[in-house]
Amino acid sequence: MFIMRIARVLGVLGFLVLIAGLGILSSVPFSAYYNDPDVPHLFVSALVTITVGGLMMLPLRRKKIELGAREGFAIVALCWFVIPFFGSFPFLFSGQIPRMVDAYFESVSGFTTTGGSILSNVEVLSHGLLYWRSLTHWLGGMGIIVLSLAVLPMLGIGGMQLFKAEVAGPTKNKLTPRVAETARLLWGLYVILTVAQIVLLRVGGMPLFDSICHAFATISTGGFSTKNLSIAAYDSAYIDMVVTLFMFIGGTSFSLHFLALQGKVRQYRDQEFVFFTITAMVAIFVVAFAVVGKEYGGDILQALRYSAFNVMTVMSCTGFATADFALWSPLAQGVLFFLMFPGATSGSTGGGMKTVRVLLMLKAGTNLFKRLLHPKAVTPITFNGALVGMETMMAIAGFAMLYFVTFGTGTIVLTAAGSDILTSMSAVAANMANVGPGLAAVGPMANYGHLPDISKWTLDVCMILGRLEIYTVLVLFTKVFWRG
Amino acid sequence: MRIVPVLSVLGFIICAVGIAMLAAVLCSWYFEEPDVQPILVSALISIAVGVFLMMFMKRLDGEELRAREGFAIVTFGWIVAPLFGTLPFLFSGAIPSFTDAFFESVSGFTTTGASILSDVESLTHGLLFWRAMTHWLGGMGIIVLSLAILPLLGVGGMQLFKAEFAGPTKDKLTPRIAETARILWSVYVLMTAVQAGLLIAGGMSFFDSICHSFATIATGGFSTKNASIGHFNSAYFDVVITVFMFIAATNFPLHYAALSGKFRYFKDNEFQFFSISAIVAIALIVPLLLSEHDFLNALRYAAFNVVSIMSSTGFASADFAQWAPLAQIVLLLLMFPGACAGSTGGGMKNVRVILLLKTAANELKRLVHPQAVIPIRYNGRMVEQDILFNIAGFIILYLVTFATATILVAANGLDLVTSISAVVAAMSNIGPGLGAVGPAANYGGLPDLVKWILGVCMVIGRLEIFTVFVLFSRAFWRS
Repeated sequence: MFIMRIARVLGVLGFLVLIAGLGILSSVPFSAYYNDPDVPHLFVSALVTITVGGLMMLPLRRKKIELGAREGFAIVALCWFVIPFFGSFPFLFSGQIPRMVDAYFESVSGFTTTGGSILSNVEVLSHGLLYWRSLTHWLGGMGIIVLSLAVLPMLGIGGMQLFKAEVAGPTKNKLTPRVAETARLLWGLYVILTVAQIVLLRVGGMPLFDSICHAFATISTGGFSTKNLSIAAYDSAYIDMVVTLFMFIGGTSFSLHFLALQGKVRQYRDQEFVFFTITAMVAIFVVAFAVVGKEYGGDILQALRYSAFNVMTVMSCTGFATADFALWSPLAQGVLFFLMFPGATSGSTGGGMKTVRVLLMLKAGTNLFKRLLHPKAVTPITFNGALVGMETMMAIAGFAMLYFVTFGTGTIVLTAAGSDILTSMSAVAANMANVGPGLAAVGPMANYGHLPDISKWTLDVCMILGRLEIYTVLVLFTKVFWRG
Repeated sequence: MRIVPVLSVLGFIICAVGIAMLAAVLCSWYFEEPDVQPILVSALISIAVGVFLMMFMKRLDGEELRAREGFAIVTFGWIVAPLFGTLPFLFSGAIPSFTDAFFESVSGFTTTGASILSDVESLTHGLLFWRAMTHWLGGMGIIVLSLAILPLLGVGGMQLFKAEFAGPTKDKLTPRIAETARILWSVYVLMTAVQAGLLIAGGMSFFDSICHSFATIATGGFSTKNASIGHFNSAYFDVVITVFMFIAATNFPLHYAALSGKFRYFKDNEFQFFSISAIVAIALIVPLLLSEHDFLNALRYAAFNVVSIMSSTGFASADFAQWAPLAQIVLLLLMFPGACAGSTGGGMKNVRVILLLKTAANELKRLVHPQAVIPIRYNGRMVEQDILFNIAGFIILYLVTFATATILVAANGLDLVTSISAVVAAMSNIGPGLGAVGPAANYGGLPDLVKWILGVCMVIGRLEIFTVFVLFSRAFWRS
């Protein structure tokens, strides 16, 4: 029975590896078209990946796959470690990122839609690889949508059972049909949004190749760019605005967007969406105020443009840059640093603790004032009009605690490896929230290449822990998980 | 809320502050210093105002204080006492600016220990004694606050300690507070005396010993020397003070039990957690100091500064702002949990961190067995979900306050490491931070606005946030 379960987990993993392989294969034409020399390397990477994936699926052929919660945890946690391993092949085989540590970092950063890079010069990469970097984001983003709207609510991770009924499936107890249904609906939307952004970027004069890559990296809130200067390379207010808008879309719930497309625009009255939007507006004005004098010489419109872009890049956990905010005033840096913790909303491709958790914790805080004064009164906490149970609240509190403990531990490891305090803190926060760039030595115009290997491995773990909302990974290390 | 009883209790507090100032007068008089008169005037003004307010007391015969009045008294108490505490600094001209004097006084009464003075050795003995005295008085207030008032009011899960000292009346504030105060202040005075004795035995002057004992047992951190404890450069003093900082940061009821022959330290979850955290932190920092010191001295410096931070005292025997980044980050992270509940120390308190960690671990189990009911235990007893909910709310408010204050401080142009560490050091009532506010620096050079923000942080942190914020809630002022 146990063997059977492992075979099932391996089978699903194999399927995902196979898809990654097909993804690598799709980057071959790009290198071929631009006459880049790494066509055979990409092809071999794809072939190896597809073969391994196929072999892993073998034990499962012609059997119906039915998965329980435990297998769900195992698949989700393992796939975000395993797929980036295969995803690093194109970098390694082509010799453009010769070291395993670096190639794996780049690949994890891609699939977790983080966007932190170890490369100091991305413009020397072949077109095939640039496309592959963006595609890792796009594939990762697809995984996250399903993860955050179907898998995590079903498994009840950190209070996400809140969204159990969001996309109603036919069977409540079985993972597979539910996941498949959600995927079908939302991936359609995901593809439409990507295409829309490509068109809008193209209209603004961005080359088609760049438009595709940047659209992939925006909707998935990834952040890899094809340019060293990131979006700043185009120096276009129009492109900045398009990307800002799509980062906002990527950082907010896809199920809301889906409902809006069906004409239910009123669903945007969702408390989490409103809270996220208001926070963004306040942050944009504060940061604009902080940079308008020194950085933008009193030009309010410019200050707002750069502030909006960089606030949204952090809040949506994308990580594009149009300015080196690591050089902005401490006020601007402080706001951006703290925005990394709540991050984006649930059900989006963005990362962080998720706005809904912070919102509910804040409600708990204010609720306690009423209880202090009226100890006997029953004061329920509601979210979007529905009562939130004590168990959900405790799950959220536990999640927040684990998040901070992970943050503290990660920071300790990075400082132990020799980085300064601000670099370490911001690097860990940025990677756990899947933002990408941090402050100081890992700012938007710097990169992660110079960090010691141990720091890179630690940040890999941080990216995956953050991406999978911590519990999904940690549960594999509990005794109860393996018992029975 | 009834204003009259609140004012009368505040009057009592102000009067006590004034009487304590008289001790500083004696001190200046003994050392034949020129500020006898200004301090005496400060004392007389405080006593006069206090007595005047206490006259209202007559209207309170037989009336009991209620929760709302409790919140108001505690919050305003920690504002009014420092306000009168500034008088000696201002009248003597030693700290001419009101902002600075208030910062110093709030830092004293909240047992923070952050100073705006770059040269404390130029102060008179009277003022040095007054600074230490503000700590000691503040510490007395905190013991009563954390073991009698907050548990009764149910602030941030502290109802956990409601049954710690079973009083005769459970619902009335006054008898309960008086009883707790009587028992624990005797422990407090005893420990102060023992420490002063040990310091004198090691050759510290009588005056310095008293001042440092006051500042240690209250986990304050004001020293009479510019280089703090580093001035004495004595392993013996370092060890004595490390031990007493540790004692002051642990639950006072445990000490009381030990004095009555019941040695319960190692059975207490919070004590275990606090001790293990300290040992781990020291073990992480010792290797970093080996390049400059031999092993024993590295251990001595690591232990002193780790316990200084964890206990939220803020004495320094080395400039840890110059240590390796790892040591700095360990100290910075330790500032958040801080000391144990029921001590004079600050921070979120270890018990809260423990219980939330247990909640997180519980969630992991429940993921695999969603139907299972797994109770959370603390010291063998089951913890109600209500208390856990309170603690979670407390921690989020702590972090939100921390982030907001950091942004406000950074808005004044201070770099991020300085802003972050200054705010957490103020909220956890530690004193020195990192960057521009490290142990070798001081808060004097900061903009006035930052000093006020940090002053507010000290009071908010000291009063466990809720006590202050509840005054701003609509529900508080209704009816």
